[in-house]
Amino acid sequence: MKKYFRELSVAGALGVLLIALAIFAPAFYQGQPLLSLLTATAPKLVVACGMALIIIGRQIDISVGSQFAVSGACGALLLGHGQPVAVALPAAMLAGALMGAFNGALIAGLGLPSIVVTLATMVSFREALRWKRQGELINIGAAQWFGLGQGHGQWTIIIVALAVLLAVGCAMRYLAAGRFIYAVGTDAEAARLAGINPRLVTFLNFVLIGALTGLAAMMAAVQSPLVDPNAGVGLELLVIAAVVVGGVSISGGRGNLFGVFVGLLLLSCISPALTYLGVEAYWEKAIQGTIILLAVVADGWRSRKNKN
Amino acid sequence: MSSSHKTGGTKALLRSHEFILFVVVVVEWIFFYFIGTSKNFSGHTVGFGTLDAQFDILRHSCEIGLLALVMTPIILTGGIDLSVGSVLGFAAIVFGKLWRDGHVPIPEAMLGALAVGACAGGLNAFLITWLRLPPLIVTLGTYSLFRGLAEAVTHGADTFTGFPDSFNFLGQERWLGMPAQLPVFVIVAIAVWLLVHRTTFGRSFRAIGYAPEGARYAGLPVERRIALVYVLAGVVAALAGIIYTARLGEAKADSGTGYELFAITAVVLGGTSIFGGSGSVHGTLLGVAAVAILKNGISLAHGPTEVADMLTGVLLILALTASIVPKILSKRPARVQTVPSTPQPSPTS
Repeated sequence: MKKYFRELSVAGALGVLLIALAIFAPAFYQGQPLLSLLTATAPKLVVACGMALIIIGRQIDISVGSQFAVSGACGALLLGHGQPVAVALPAAMLAGALMGAFNGALIAGLGLPSIVVTLATMVSFREALRWKRQGELINIGAAQWFGLGQGHGQWTIIIVALAVLLAVGCAMRYLAAGRFIYAVGTDAEAARLAGINPRLVTFLNFVLIGALTGLAAMMAAVQSPLVDPNAGVGLELLVIAAVVVGGVSISGGRGNLFGVFVGLLLLSCISPALTYLGVEAYWEKAIQGTIILLAVVADGWRSRKNKN
Repeated sequence: MSSSHKTGGTKALLRSHEFILFVVVVVEWIFFYFIGTSKNFSGHTVGFGTLDAQFDILRHSCEIGLLALVMTPIILTGGIDLSVGSVLGFAAIVFGKLWRDGHVPIPEAMLGALAVGACAGGLNAFLITWLRLPPLIVTLGTYSLFRGLAEAVTHGADTFTGFPDSFNFLGQERWLGMPAQLPVFVIVAIAVWLLVHRTTFGRSFRAIGYAPEGARYAGLPVERRIALVYVLAGVVAALAGIIYTARLGEAKADSGTGYELFAITAVVLGGTSIFGGSGSVHGTLLGVAAVAILKNGISLAHGPTEVADMLTGVLLILALTASIVPKILSKRPARVQTVPSTPQPSPTS
């Protein structure tokens, strides 16, 4: 119980928000808008799973928003040229994995700080895409909702996201590979002495978040007939916020996927909650920033108390 | 690195990072001079090679230059500040709001904006030093917070315009033949250079960046020194916000978006180690020049602006790689010898 205090307190905050919405804004619980909200959140959950692994491994990746745009555009272009989803989806994931491998090679191979490397690739990837596409929308035609129709398509997207969450969550808990990430995030030197290759773990982590971002980009792309190549601006902030709010320690080695899931739900509910509760939507970014700060202050406060 | 020419003579100067960067900047300038300058139909020279264009580059790089100057001591201490661009935008909005809706005279509104910048820097400093939180995540949070506050104040769409000419003079006119904001920049540059290179503060920034615990045991007030650099960054970011407003003649919520990237690029390009402990302000100034000439050179040569931003990112990665390669090379023989007794710390940590 005490071990999961952090995750449970976030779940408690989400519960309070949901109850408050039930009392003051019951309109929030209408079926279709709620399903749309969950569908829109699903791709972010997939990216958040990757980000959780990165942060547990004591790195950070702020280029995911740009990777999202680039791999989404790659997949959408293939769909637009009449390729089936079975081709476009792996292609988008491959594009993401390649970008992740580029980050990973610089960070794990050369030992450069992840924040600066991904800051640079964030700009370079996005500007390269802008230069190439000039902001032109991509028509994916009949591939919308994977060609399933809206109802089935929405459920497919939500189920895929939950499956990724479950798979990554179980892997982190029960597989040696998952424990390696915790080990590297806690103390890379100790992990190395224990026979783990920290550089390889970090590199594969970045490849994985790239592939997951590619998957997420396709899940988002099929939600509308026209794909915006400017998608994913600010995605990195939302996802890092969800991971940190969900109890993953920014200094690595601690956290689990359940917390990330709850943290993301909490953040995703804020924007619609603001609308339903009659607060202006312009406050969203400021509130998100405040929540990140509150979460890190809570963690800092706790570790300070533990030390004394 | 900065004092290498004193100890090692001319040879060391020629091999120093600053000198190599200086050559790169000169080559870059000559390159754009030839591809960016042309004659128009009436025979006048236009483009990169004109004095007007050079002044324009100075004008446009002033704000990024200010941010890079105050980013230098922060990175010297081993920290980072991602929120400077957002503080710039928020201060610009506060300035505009005070002047238009609060009917505060311009000088007082400027002071108000600077005070807001100081508070913003103070919030960063407080969270970083008091709770010992990592600067990266704190300033990522305030990056979102201050941009969000700017958007909330303006409802995302409102802009403040119609400032008096006497104020816009600061950003758009010439004073004694040079861009009016240049003296401000020069004063801040000299002040930061003196602070970093000619005072005990500067030494303590390097000591903290090199070994925070060692600095503490040496009796340095580590927390106060770190707080100082973040508050300084907030104030100067607000100053940059005022100059930005004067240059455009309007204050809007997205002022300075992405400027933190250019500032960090300029600092790292200038030879300051991203891990802290070594670097110089004159290196940063050369880094600013390299970024500014690239950015403005491409647009004056009618190249796509996206390419300029893309290349800035590439430049940052190249600068980082260049700075790390000698470290890897010099470490390699040492590692072979010491592996049995004392293992080297892994660079991925």
